[in-house]
This record gives sequence, structure tokens and C-alpha cells, in this order.
Amino acid sequence: MRIRYIFKAAAHSIKHRKSAFMISVFSISVSFLMLCAIGNISFGIAAATVNRSLAFPLVVGPVGSSDTSLVMSSVFNVDKPNGTLDYGIFEELSADKRVRAAFPVIRSDSYLGVPITGVNSAYINEISKGFSSLMQNVKADDIFGEGALHCAVIGSKIAARHELETGDEFFGSHGHVGDEDAHEHRGFAYRVCGILEPTNSVEDFSIFVDLRSAWAIHAHHHHEEEAEHGHEHEHEGEHEHEGEHEHEGEHEHEGEHEHEGKITAVLVKTVNPAATAALEREYSENGRTNAANVAKTVRQIVQYMNKAETAAGFFSYGTLVLVMLMIFVTILMSVNERKKEMALMRTLGIGRFPIAMMIVLESLFTAFCGVFAGSAAGHAALALLKPRIDVALGISLEPLFFTEVELNGIAVTAATALLISFAALVKIYRMNLTEEISRD
Amino acid sequence: MDSAAKLELKSVSKSFPAGTGGRLEVLKDVSLTLESGDVLRLAGSSGSGKTTFMNIVSALIQPDSGSVIFNGTDVTRLGESGKDLYRAGNVGYIFQTFNLLSPYSVIENVYAPLAFAGRLGSDYRSRAMAALGRVGMADFADKLPYHLSVGQRQRVAIARVIFAGQRLILADEPTASLDGHSSGLVREVLHELSRQGAILVFSSHDTTFDLFRTDMTFNLETGVIS
Repeated sequence: MRIRYIFKAAAHSIKHRKSAFMISVFSISVSFLMLCAIGNISFGIAAATVNRSLAFPLVVGPVGSSDTSLVMSSVFNVDKPNGTLDYGIFEELSADKRVRAAFPVIRSDSYLGVPITGVNSAYINEISKGFSSLMQNVKADDIFGEGALHCAVIGSKIAARHELETGDEFFGSHGHVGDEDAHEHRGFAYRVCGILEPTNSVEDFSIFVDLRSAWAIHAHHHHEEEAEHGHEHEHEGEHEHEGEHEHEGEHEHEGEHEHEGKITAVLVKTVNPAATAALEREYSENGRTNAANVAKTVRQIVQYMNKAETAAGFFSYGTLVLVMLMIFVTILMSVNERKKEMALMRTLGIGRFPIAMMIVLESLFTAFCGVFAGSAAGHAALALLKPRIDVALGISLEPLFFTEVELNGIAVTAATALLISFAALVKIYRMNLTEEISRD
Repeated sequence: MDSAAKLELKSVSKSFPAGTGGRLEVLKDVSLTLESGDVLRLAGSSGSGKTTFMNIVSALIQPDSGSVIFNGTDVTRLGESGKDLYRAGNVGYIFQTFNLLSPYSVIENVYAPLAFAGRLGSDYRSRAMAALGRVGMADFADKLPYHLSVGQRQRVAIARVIFAGQRLILADEPTASLDGHSSGLVREVLHELSRQGAILVFSSHDTTFDLFRTDMTFNLETGVIS
């Protein structure tokens, strides 16, 4: 009964100063909402990053490309690739005993802002968790087999976002995402052959096509360009025709040669970490390629991210502590305002312990409401914005997941609330009852 | 009232620092004994020590020397929680104005002290309503104090004393801010509580209290108990 009444008294007290309570709860919840968002998004990015680095320990790309750019463009499908390398490098790596599996990738086109990646069937087998939808007569384990030049495999999020189903056709745009001169390849349509099961990774936001189609489409594009070029020359004058034709032939030959047999990177699964290190060294020093250790590069990226997360986390913790200090002042002011009332309580025989408990409960309840409201709002906002965040950052958010940052925030809030209570208690314990009760 | 009550003050003295650097002696070697039903009137001008006397009896402040014994227990020797329990169970303190806890409703103000002390009986709500009925405040049970007039608040404070069945009632100028009707009601209830066995200690400049039955008057200006 006594404890129940202490709770009731704390509730009365909160009810009596509703505005201060609401402001305190609002302030805590805003800080907590930030913590929730920072923690969850950082965790999502880190999880996606680490997952990828475990899948392919080594990536080999063209000479001159930086490790970060190489990893970001070929492993995470973001950032533009920096040049090309010969398909022969892939064959060379595939034959190496230190390599368990190698996968050639080519990135050049895009569809509505989504990069299109040319790969082989083995790569699809490697990264997929199966297909949620597959066209008839298409082999799941050899999706880019014979007669599948126009076949495209898309991630679950891309299918949902662009309302694509198996059998649907689309045209890729020449050039990388963000290129100003990008234009559609109207003469080469892709057909959705399969939709991947969600992997909660970058694949969900990817479009994969047959490596050979990436070559073919660019050879086709080159022909188109040349035809246009030739047409313009026809108007310029017949006397130039002969020479022009010669030039066309030369150019065509060069263009085909430029695209066919070129890839942007080779993703490599090695037999052991020592093989990764040795291959990294060899393929970085041969003057033809650059090799990046994915885990090492990712670690560097994550370290930068961690710094940003730590800075953002500190900012949020700082805000939280400031908010708690504000609550501290509010509660102390409230204790000051209620000194006479507390003195009357003491005069009526209400002990210091129940009064103290009342203050502690008020403070903890305020903090709890703030944490609960902020956390609920934060997770709800993440759930609501998940589709956009996932696409924008190439991650798969878990809106209901409580991150370490958030749990630390709860601990900080609870500790500060208790600290506030104890400071208020000192004030109550040092109160001069008769002085307070006789004050006008 | 459940049982008999006895209050003894033995050689109680209390002084406060004076502005001149010395000490102002408010109570000097006061000794008196009050038993169930006794009424003690404290007389003297403002600042003569009437409130100090009540504060010492209610264990809100410690005397410099001497002891206050209630039913055999020296309350000056009790710890803080012992003093809290002593006040909650035995002392009904009625002030001139500030008597009620503003966040609580009228009925909660009546039973709050015993609720906090963990001494509420099972039928506390009906007993609280009966106490409020006795002072004509039953209809205001769920109102908050700021809805009430000063007189009504004073009646609620008395209902609280009735509810708790406290055996020592300290009334410090209980009718000073009241109109004639409320003042009469307060006097009537205090008289009734005294007849039921409570020890009543009051101070009042209200001349209508001159007709009140008193067993003893303590003039704090002269130090004479008559």
C-alpha cells in the first residue's frame, strides 16, 4: 500500500507540472531519436560492409585504380570503376592454384540510376540465396547459359522499387550512374529472367546481366555511332567517301577490340589468407593490374565510418546529457518550488524516504517516457524510411534492432536520472522544515 | 480516540541566535504535563515562541535541553524516521493557512499521511469521507485544494486530524483567516476532539476562543503557566 501510494504521489506530482514534464520528455525523446537513427544506420552499413568483405577477400582491377575505388565499385557496386583490364587476367587467376574461385565483373551501364553489372552464371550461383521468381526454361544454376544474352537477374528491392517481374523488358543507359551524357540503348533490351531472393545485402539493389551482353551491347552501340558518323559524312561530300570508309573499317575494328575481352575487375576467393596476401602483392606489382585486399580496405573504410559514428554518437550523447542537465535544473526548480509542500509533508509525518522515492520515481519516469517515446519514434521512423534509406545507402536496415549506441543511451539516461534524483535528495535532506513551513 | 495520551515537557529550553550576536531565549526551563482531554492555550504576542513550542512538541525542531515525552517515549531522542512516525501517528498539526498538499485531491489530503506511513486501514476511503462529512466537506472530496476557500481548506485539515485519530492536536492560529461560520465550525470540532480524549494545544488571537474551555494557559511572554 505504501509503495503504491508513493507511485501514486509521484504520478500526482507529474500531473501537477504537466508542461515541465512534457518539455522534458520531448527533449529526451528527440535526443534518443537521433541516437536510434545513428546507431541503426551505422550498424546497417557496418554489417553490409563486413558481409561483403567476407565474401570476396581479394579484388583485382586495372592499374591506377585506388584500393578504395576498386572495392567500392566492384564489391559494393557503388562508385564508378576506374578503367578496364583484360579478360585474360580472370583466366590467369582462375588457373592459379591459390585461387578457389574467380569471378569477372564489368560495370558500364545503368538502369534508372541502378548500375548494371555484367557477370557470369558462377557469380550468380555464388551470391544468390535462390530465386523468388524465375522465367520458364531458364536454368537456375546456369542462368546466363546458351541463348541468355538478353537475360537480366535483378535484386528483390529493385524488382519491388521498379515493379519489375520476370519477362519484363527494359533498356539500359549507356554510361555509369550519374554520367551526364548517359543515353538509352534502345536497340538492346534486357529481359528479366530471374528475381533474387532477398540477401539483405547489396545484391538486393543490383541488376546483373551476362558478361557477354555487356560486350555485345557496346559493340552494337559502337556500330550505331559509326553509322551516324558515316551518315554525316555522306552529306559532307562524295570525294571524301573512300577515305572515310577506310577509316570506318579501322575504327570498327578498334571499337570491338576495345570492348570485347575487357572487364572492370576480378573478384577472387582465395584458398587461405596467405594466398590473399601473396596474390595481392603480385597483382599490385605486375604493372598491369592493381589488387586490393577487401578486408583491409573495408577495415579502413569502417574505421573512417566509426570515426564519423563516434563523432555523431558523442554529439547525441552530448545532447542527451545537456537535456538531462536541463531536466536536472527543472527538477531542482520543482523541488525549490515544492519545498514548502515537502516541509508540510514532513510535518504531517511523511518521511524523507517516501519523499525521496517520489523524486526518484518522477525523475526515472520522465527519463523512461523520453527514452520510450524517442525510441519508439526512432524505430518507427526507421521502419517508415527503410525503403529509401536501404536504396540510398545500399544496406538493409533492421528497424527493430536495438544497437549498442542506443543501449548506451538508455544507460546514460538512467544514470543521469538517478544522479539528478540524488542531487535533489540532498536538497530535501538539508531542508529546514520550520523555516520552510513558516515562509509566506 | 483509541487510548489515553500523556504529554510531558521536562525542563525544555530553546534559544535562537539574535541579530546582536547574542542568543534570544524563547523557552526557558519549561515543564508541564498534559493528559487526554486537556486543553492548553498558548498566549503571547507574535514572536513570543508559540510556534517554537509547537514545533518542539511535534519534534520538528530539537530543544537545546530538556525532553518531550509522549506516552512514555522521549521524542527528542528519536531518529528522523521515528519522529516521522510519531508525527504521522500522534500529532495533528493545523496551521493558519498552508495546510494542504496542492497536487492531491481533498480526500487524498485527508488520508495521505497514513498512506505514506503504510497505516491505512481497509475501509480508509469511507472513513475519510465520514471525516470530511463531519466538517461539511464531503461534496468536495475529489476537488483540488486550489478550488477551495481558505476556510474550506482549514476544514479539510481538521478532517485529516479526525481521520487519523491523532491524540495530540496542535492548532496554530487555526481561525485567523476564517469567516465566522468556518471559525465556529473549527472551534466546535476541536472541542469535540478534545472531549473525545485528544490533547489540544492551540494559540489564537481570536477572541471567540476566550469562551473555549481551557485547562491551562501558558503565557510565553511571562513564562507563567496558569
